[in-house]
Amino acid sequence: MASTAFLEMTGVRKRYGGVTALDGADFAAEAGTVHAVLGPNGSGKSTLLKVLTGVVAPDEGEVRLNGRALRPRGPRDTAEAGISAVYQELSLIDDFSVLDNLVLGVEPRKRGVRDRAAARRLALPWLERFAEAFGGRVPVDERVADLDPGERQVVEVCKALVRQPRVLVLDEATASLRRRQVEVLFDVVRELRESGVLVLFITHRLAEILAVCDRATIMRNGSDIRTVTIAEVPERDLVELMVGELAAAESTESSATDEVRLDVDGLSAGRLHDATFQVRAGEVLGLGGLQGQGQSHLLSALFGALKPRAGTITLDGETVQSRSPKQAVRAKIAYVPGDRGSQGLALGRPILENFALPSAGRRAWLGIGLSRKRELAAARAVAERISTRYGSLDDPVSTLSGGNQQKIVVGKWFPTEPRVVLMDDPAKGIDVRAKAELFHVVRELAASGAAVLISASDDRELVELCDRVLVLFEGRIVDEVEGDRLTEETLVSSAMHITEADRAVATTATADTDPAAPEREDS
Amino acid sequence: MSAPQTSTPTSSPIADRLRRAARDPVVVSGIAALALWVVAAIVSPAFASWSQILTLLMLASFLGVIAIGQTLVIIAGGEGIDLSVGAVATLAAIIGSRYMDGSNENLLLAVVLALGAAAIVGVINGVGILMFRVPPLVMTLGMIAVVYGFIRLYTGGRPAGSAAPALRTLVTGDTVAGIPGVLWLWLALSVLVIWLLRRTSYGWRLYAVGGNPNAAYLSGVNTKAVKLSAYVLSSVFAGVGGLLLLGYTQTVFLRLADPYMLPSVAATVVGGTALIGGVGGYLGTIIGAILLTVLDSFLRILQLGGGAGDAPRQIIYGLVLLVVLSAYGRQRRLRQ
Repeated sequence: MASTAFLEMTGVRKRYGGVTALDGADFAAEAGTVHAVLGPNGSGKSTLLKVLTGVVAPDEGEVRLNGRALRPRGPRDTAEAGISAVYQELSLIDDFSVLDNLVLGVEPRKRGVRDRAAARRLALPWLERFAEAFGGRVPVDERVADLDPGERQVVEVCKALVRQPRVLVLDEATASLRRRQVEVLFDVVRELRESGVLVLFITHRLAEILAVCDRATIMRNGSDIRTVTIAEVPERDLVELMVGELAAAESTESSATDEVRLDVDGLSAGRLHDATFQVRAGEVLGLGGLQGQGQSHLLSALFGALKPRAGTITLDGETVQSRSPKQAVRAKIAYVPGDRGSQGLALGRPILENFALPSAGRRAWLGIGLSRKRELAAARAVAERISTRYGSLDDPVSTLSGGNQQKIVVGKWFPTEPRVVLMDDPAKGIDVRAKAELFHVVRELAASGAAVLISASDDRELVELCDRVLVLFEGRIVDEVEGDRLTEETLVSSAMHITEADRAVATTATADTDPAAPEREDS
Repeated sequence: MSAPQTSTPTSSPIADRLRRAARDPVVVSGIAALALWVVAAIVSPAFASWSQILTLLMLASFLGVIAIGQTLVIIAGGEGIDLSVGAVATLAAIIGSRYMDGSNENLLLAVVLALGAAAIVGVINGVGILMFRVPPLVMTLGMIAVVYGFIRLYTGGRPAGSAAPALRTLVTGDTVAGIPGVLWLWLALSVLVIWLLRRTSYGWRLYAVGGNPNAAYLSGVNTKAVKLSAYVLSSVFAGVGGLLLLGYTQTVFLRLADPYMLPSVAATVVGGTALIGGVGGYLGTIIGAILLTVLDSFLRILQLGGGAGDAPRQIIYGLVLLVVLSAYGRQRRLRQ
């Protein structure tokens, strides 16, 4: 029998509908190490760690901790086994004090009654350890709602530590931290390593991996590719491992013209800072980079669903002030949101009504009266163009497959003859065939003269589909890739922001994101 | 035949249609209403008489008209509900009766004023719910107190006037083809509302807002305007219901339309309009209103409890409602 590792995951599979998130992934890590899990968007690294923490139940596979099989029914079971996780999305209760949050679920009791003194003894050491991250204070009795986002993230880390984990999972836990806070966290991580804790680390900042991690497992397409010792592998090789051998991307014919359709100048909204770019009629412009770097905010700001702080948007030479989606639709802008279930469709309503929603008013008599015949004809015409398969147009849209649902979210805009089409990760969670058909639809929209802006969580999609890709990092456009440079490898390394000059900027950007900072030139 | 149809191994279309009908709340409550009426007719043969049927439908029409707006508000979703319909109907009746004052002279003015006042209450409801984000339940519940307070102030506790003769004739008298005018009016309003919901862009948007407000908003629908209109329409239709009640009772009293508050919600939900929004329609509400009216009348003729008065009837009425509503709730979950 081979000596088993401290943590071992073997043959883990997980499918979401038609999409395979994990395809027989193996993973092993030793106690007393800091182990990074690396991989491009959608490679399955987050799902793998969610299987470990019991948030996601795998379809197949085994998890063994310290030689014992782990069959969690939920995060509660894994917490008892000594696994604590810190996620990017927070799990704190705003109206509770920091102390109450830290001991939530593990409140010390004395004769069945909460023992506040013991709770304090339990939590205080960790808060004191992180005092520097709180600007020198120990906010034990402060309300969580009164803390800033970075401080809340630190509380989240303390909450995991109070549970005295043997395995600590940090999933993008540094994303909202300032540099000083990251330093304190890393000091603590090193101490934990000394005391034999296994720290699993997911981050998009390669520099952090180099700074604190011992080992790294690289994931790709739902399985593990290799596990390496960080010190022995040059970082270029890490990127190459993540991308894998490059399949020759299908080149699609560009329909881009010379006519500038959309001109965006200095747009800031939400996470997005100072974006300036142009899109030509017939062009498909990709928004690349890691997830959540401001791509979604850019798209919703252009659609009027997110209020911009600054900047101007010009469409065909005319300034657009889309303060609401209604006005944007009137200006012939179409938007395909990132989450079709919660934003794109009224799932319980018929396919017909979902099709008609953005355009029904145009076909109505006096803007009110609808003819069923005309609506059916309009919906059928679109459904045919985008080759949607359905039973009856009166069936609820929820009866369709994910891919066909997504086609309706896109297709409903056809009758509005959009000049600009904004798509937020439209191919997410649909199978290969539906994806190919969807891309065909996107190309067709572009060929009809629309300017298409599209974000994608999968870089390969951008390479296949786009004429040009803007890479975003922490809310800023940091690179523009087109022509021969438009490869997956360029996109990944650009997204990770690992050119020498950029790394320095990235670390300062971590310390303080100043919206007023001058636009940085691309290298 | 040139293109042979590949027959799928599913059950026959008739069986399929029957199965679908058995799950359709409109059909279910329709059958329930009919069955209840048959039982009532057996217990008390007078129930089956034509005049008794017309009286039942007439009583149902007041509830049905008041529940029009309730249906719209509930379809528009977002925990939408309008508990102030009873108070608004009373308000409209009181304003109407004071200006009519037993003559036809000021009929038009009285109707306009009554419905105008109702519409104002609807606007206040809508603004409170949409701008100040008061939950609809709380907002409309609070509005009941405000409206009754206003009525006390306005009438000094003693409502004045009475219905115009024309209104009285419309509701109770003058029959066309042997059917009272109020039923024709209800029919006309029903056709209008069903058309509005099924065949207008407004109706489709209302369903979309109720079904998924985010998707509707991101498709360029002004979701706030749509919801506001639902609350205004709700109050206006409650006002119409109040005026019809006035025509029926001739004179007003302070809590005239109070008993219609919860039944308007019940009729809507029994008719298959889901409280989660985006599902249902007015046809179901019509059936629901008739079902509730038949049930109520049936329990009255049974004269349960003898000396205990109204109490046993109310208990049974409430229990029946609970059973029907919980049956619907379970059905929905099974289907998801």
